Amino acid sequence: MFSKQLLPVLFFFSLGVLKAQTTITLSGTVSDGESGETLIGATIYAPASGNGTATNEYGFYSLALPAGNDSVAIEFSYVGFQSNTLKILAKTDVVQNVQLVTGIQLQEVVVQASTYREQIRSTEMSVEEVSTREVKVIPALLGETDILKTIQLKPGIPSGSEGTTGLYVRGGGGDQNLIVLDEAVVYNANHLFGFFSTFNTDAIKDLKLYKGGFPAQYGGRLSSVIDVRMKEGNNRSYHGTGGIGLITSRLTLEGPIEKEKSSFIVSGRRTYADLITRKINKANADNVDYNPIPDYYFYDLNTKVNFTLSEKDRLYLSGYFGRDVFGFDGDFFEFNFNWGNVTGTARWNHVFSPKLFHNLTLTYSDYEYNIETKVTGFSFKIGSSVKDANLKSDFYYALNNDHTLRFGSYVTRHQFGVGRLKASSDDGTVSFSGGNDFNAASMGAYIADEISAGVHWKLNAGLRLSGFVNAGKFYGGAEPRLAAVYNVNPNLSFKGSYARMYQYLHLVSTSGIALPTDIWYPSGRQIKPQNSDQVALGLEYLLGNNYLITNEYYYKRMGRQVDFVDGARLFANDNLEDEFAIGRGYGYGMELGIEKQEGKLKGWLGYTLALVRRTEFKPVDESRVFSGEGNPYFPRYDRRHDLSLVLMYDLSRRLTISGTAVYGSGDRTWLPVGRFTFQDVHGADFQPIVPVFGARNDFRLPYFFRADAGLVYRFFPKWGESDLTLSVFNATNRRNAFFLYLEPQYAEGVDPLEDPLAIPEGVAAKQVSLFPILGSLTWTFKF
Amino acid sequence: MKYLAIIFSLTAAILITACGNLEKDINLDLPVYESQYVVECYLEPGQPFSLLLTKSVPYFEPFPENPLDFVESILVDSAKVVISHSGKDYVLDNGVFFHPFTKKLFNYSNADLVPGGHDNDFSLKIITPDGKTITATTHILPVVPIDSVVVEYESEADTLARVLTYLTDDPATKDYYRRMLHHNSLDSIPDQDFTTFDDFVDDNKIVFGSGFDYAVGDTVFTTIFHIDRAYFDFWESTFNAINANSNPFGQPSSIISNLSGDANALGIFTGLSYDRVAVVIEK
Repeated sequence: MFSKQLLPVLFFFSLGVLKAQTTITLSGTVSDGESGETLIGATIYAPASGNGTATNEYGFYSLALPAGNDSVAIEFSYVGFQSNTLKILAKTDVVQNVQLVTGIQLQEVVVQASTYREQIRSTEMSVEEVSTREVKVIPALLGETDILKTIQLKPGIPSGSEGTTGLYVRGGGGDQNLIVLDEAVVYNANHLFGFFSTFNTDAIKDLKLYKGGFPAQYGGRLSSVIDVRMKEGNNRSYHGTGGIGLITSRLTLEGPIEKEKSSFIVSGRRTYADLITRKINKANADNVDYNPIPDYYFYDLNTKVNFTLSEKDRLYLSGYFGRDVFGFDGDFFEFNFNWGNVTGTARWNHVFSPKLFHNLTLTYSDYEYNIETKVTGFSFKIGSSVKDANLKSDFYYALNNDHTLRFGSYVTRHQFGVGRLKASSDDGTVSFSGGNDFNAASMGAYIADEISAGVHWKLNAGLRLSGFVNAGKFYGGAEPRLAAVYNVNPNLSFKGSYARMYQYLHLVSTSGIALPTDIWYPSGRQIKPQNSDQVALGLEYLLGNNYLITNEYYYKRMGRQVDFVDGARLFANDNLEDEFAIGRGYGYGMELGIEKQEGKLKGWLGYTLALVRRTEFKPVDESRVFSGEGNPYFPRYDRRHDLSLVLMYDLSRRLTISGTAVYGSGDRTWLPVGRFTFQDVHGADFQPIVPVFGARNDFRLPYFFRADAGLVYRFFPKWGESDLTLSVFNATNRRNAFFLYLEPQYAEGVDPLEDPLAIPEGVAAKQVSLFPILGSLTWTFKF
Repeated sequence: MKYLAIIFSLTAAILITACGNLEKDINLDLPVYESQYVVECYLEPGQPFSLLLTKSVPYFEPFPENPLDFVESILVDSAKVVISHSGKDYVLDNGVFFHPFTKKLFNYSNADLVPGGHDNDFSLKIITPDGKTITATTHILPVVPIDSVVVEYESEADTLARVLTYLTDDPATKDYYRRMLHHNSLDSIPDQDFTTFDDFVDDNKIVFGSGFDYAVGDTVFTTIFHIDRAYFDFWESTFNAINANSNPFGQPSSIISNLSGDANALGIFTGLSYDRVAVVIEK
C-alpha cells in the first residue's frame, strides 16, 4: 500500500541530490529586542537573489545564499516591528542573531509588504494566525479576551454555539482539532462549557491554525491543527502584567534569571464569582427558606522557563495547570465536580550546524474530570481521564538553496480511564463499580522537503507514517502531504495542497456545548481510526502594499466518521463502543479573505461558502437504532454562509477603537414533527405530548448576526502602562437562537404538575437566546 | 446529566444580566408528518387483556377544547386485535374500557385474565382499519421482590425521613428495572420514576434511596418493575424525546418500539412484573 504513495515523494527528495551549487548559509535567531522573546515567522529576505525564508517555531532561521566576495543586503522583518537590513559578507557561513524593535509608523507599510510577500512565496496555505496583540483590542464576551474566539472570526472556522470556543473547521467535527500548547496536546481547551478557553491571553505568544495543507510534522486529527505558543518571558528586565475584569483577575510576572541568557514567566488567572456567592450564602445562613448558591470557579496557571545553554543549545520548560471546580455542601448532600488539564513540555533546541536544527521534545498531557457525591450513608464517585506521555524528535535541515528538509519521529503512550465509577454504602452492604482502562500507544515518523523549482515554482512534498496500538489491535497508515505554489509575480501566487490525515482518538460527545464529561475514546477492536483526504486550491494576492487577498477552494472527504445511536448512553457505560455509529462525510466550500495587519486601521473581512454532509451511518451494535440509518444528513454546524468583519483603529497613541460583525446561516437542529399521547402504566405520569422527531438535523435555525464594539484607552503613568478596555458584546442586542423548543400551552389555572391528567390547549414554538447586549470594563496594567 | 443542566442554568443566570427576555415565540414551518399508529399493551398476570390503540398527529395539530373530544380524536377504532399465548388466541373487543382503580383507559379488551408463567411468549397481531399489520412478541418476566424497605432519619431530632428500598439482583442475567416512588397516592405524580440496569452491581445487592422528604404518617409506595430490554429501550427513548425537546443537553431520539409490520407503528407490547411495598412513616 505504501509503495505507490512513497514513489512520488522519493522522486522529489532525489531532486536535491541532483542539483547543487556553491552556497553559504546564513543562520541564527530573530527576537524581540525589548523582551528577548523569539519571533516566530519573522521574514528574512535577500532582495538581490530573491531568496527568503522565515523563522521556525523557535525563532531559528537558515538561509542559503549564493557564495561570493560581495556584501549582500538582508532584510529582517516582522509585523509590528521595525525592519532591519544588514549587510552580510557571503563568503563563508554566517551566524547572525537579529533583534527587532517595535515598529514605527513610516516603516510599517514596508514591513507588511515584505511579510506578505514571503507568505505569498511560501507553499503554506489554509493557515490562519492571530497574535495576542490583536486579541487584546478585539471586543470580547464580558471583557474576557480569548485567542480561540478570535480565530473563529477568520474565514473557514465557524464557531459552535454562540459565545463558545468550539471550532468546526471546513466541515469537520468539534473533536477533529488538534490543540497543542507548547507542543503538548490539550484535550479539553474549555472552561465553563466552552464559554472561555484555557488560554490566558497574558501567557500566550501567538496561535497558528492549519485548516488544510497540513505540514507533515502534524497529525492525529482530521480537520485542523491549532498550535499555541506560550511566551518565554522577558530576558532583559522584570515586568508584571495584570488585570481586573468582570469574570477574572489575572497576574503575570516575567523576567531574566540570568540576563539575556535565561528567563521565566509565571501567569495566573482566576474567576471570583464564588467569593461573592460565599458571602451571600453566609449572610443568609440563618434563613431557612434560602437555597445556597453552589460554588463555582476556574483558574489557570502557566509557567515557563528557558535557558540559553550555549550558542547552540537552548532549553525550554513549560507547564500549564487549570481547573474548574463546582461544589455544593448541603445538610444531607455534598457534591464536588472538578475538571481540568495539566500539560508539561521540556524542549531542547540544538543547532548541529548552520543548516541543521534539532528539537527534542518531551511532553505530558492530562485531562480528567471527577465527580464526587455524598449523601448520608452513601458515596458516589465517577471520573474519566486521558494521560499522554510523548517523546518526539524534529529536525530542520536547510540542505541548500533549493531544498529544506524537515523530518522527525515520535512515540506517545496514552492511558485512558473511561467512566470509572464507584458507589457504595458506608456500611458496605451495597456496592457498584464500573469503567474501563485502556493503555494505548501511537508512533510515527515523517519527512518533508520544501523544494524550490525555478523562479516561479515551489513544492513541499512530505510523507507521514503513523500507527496506533490498543487492545492488541494495530492500525497504521501512510499520510502523504503535498503543497505547491506558483508565483506569478511577487504579489500574486497560486497554491494547491493535498493532505491525508488519520485520527485514532474519538470524542464521546453528543452535545454542541463543550461538556467536561466529554471524554476521548481510543480506536480499538470495533472502532477503527477516522481518516480524511483534503484538496485545496487557492490564490494569494497583495493589493498595493497593505491588503492581502486570499481565496481558497477545498474539498474534504472524511471516512469512518463517528456519531452516536439514538438515546446513546455516554455517561457511565462499560460498553461505550455499542453507542457508536460509523459513517462517512464530506465537505466543500470557498473562503475569501482580505486583511490588513499594519497601519492605523487594521483588520480583516472573511467570507465562507460551505457545505458539509454526513452519510451512510450504521450503528456498531446492530440491535441499536440510528435515525435515518444510511441516509445523508447535515451535521449541526452546517453553516452555508459565514461572513465576519474585524476592524481595529488607532485613533491616537492612547485610544484604539474596534468592532466586529459576524453573520452566519443558522445552525441545523433536530426538531419534532409529530406527537403522540403516552398513557403509561398505573402510577406513572400521563404524557399528553411525546415528540416524534423527524429527519436528523433537518431544520435550520434563523440566521445568526452579532456586532461587538470595543474601546481601549491607555494611560502612561511613571510606573508603566495601564489601560481601560470597554467591550460591548452583541451591541445590536439581537436575540440569536441558542436552541428551539416546543412547549405545551395550558389553559389559565391548569397546572400539569398538579393535575396529572391535564391536557394542553396547544403547542408554542420558543426560541431561547443566551446573550443580550452585555457591557464590560476591564482594567489592565503593565509595569 | 441533571447536574450539568443545573450548572449550565446557574452559569446562564450569572452570565445573563437582567436585560430583557431571552425567550420568544417564533413561527415554525415543520415538514409534513404522516400520522402513525401507537400501541400500548401491558400484560399483567391476573388482570384482563387490555390494549390502547391511538394515532400520532402532526406536532402543531390543534387540540380539541374538550378533553373527551381530545381522547376521541386520537383513539383508533375498528382494528382487529388478537393476542396469542400457549396456542390460545385472545381476541380483544373494541370499546371504551376505563379501569377505575388504575384510572387508565383502553379501547381494546378481553375479560379473560392474563395467565401467569414465564416460559411461553405472548404474540400480538393487529390489523388496522386501513388493512395494515402490527405484530409484536413479548414474555412476562418473573417479579424481582423487594427485600426490605428501611425508613431512616438523619438524626433522632429530625422530623423528615428517607426510604431505602433493597432488592437482590440475579448476577447471572442482565436485568433492567423501572423504579417508582409515590408519596401518599399512586395516582399522584411520582417522586421518582426512572429505568436502570444492573451493569455496575458488584455483588447482588441493589438499593434505591430517596431524599429526606417524608414525615410521620406519610405513606410511601415503592415499586420495582422488572422489565425487559424492549420496554427499557422504549421507555428511555420516549423520555429522551420528551427531555430533548426542552433541554439543550438532551439528545433527540426516535421512539424505539418493539413493534413490527407494515403499519410502521410506535409503541410497546410488554409484560408487567412488579413488586410494590407501601410503608407508613413512623418515628
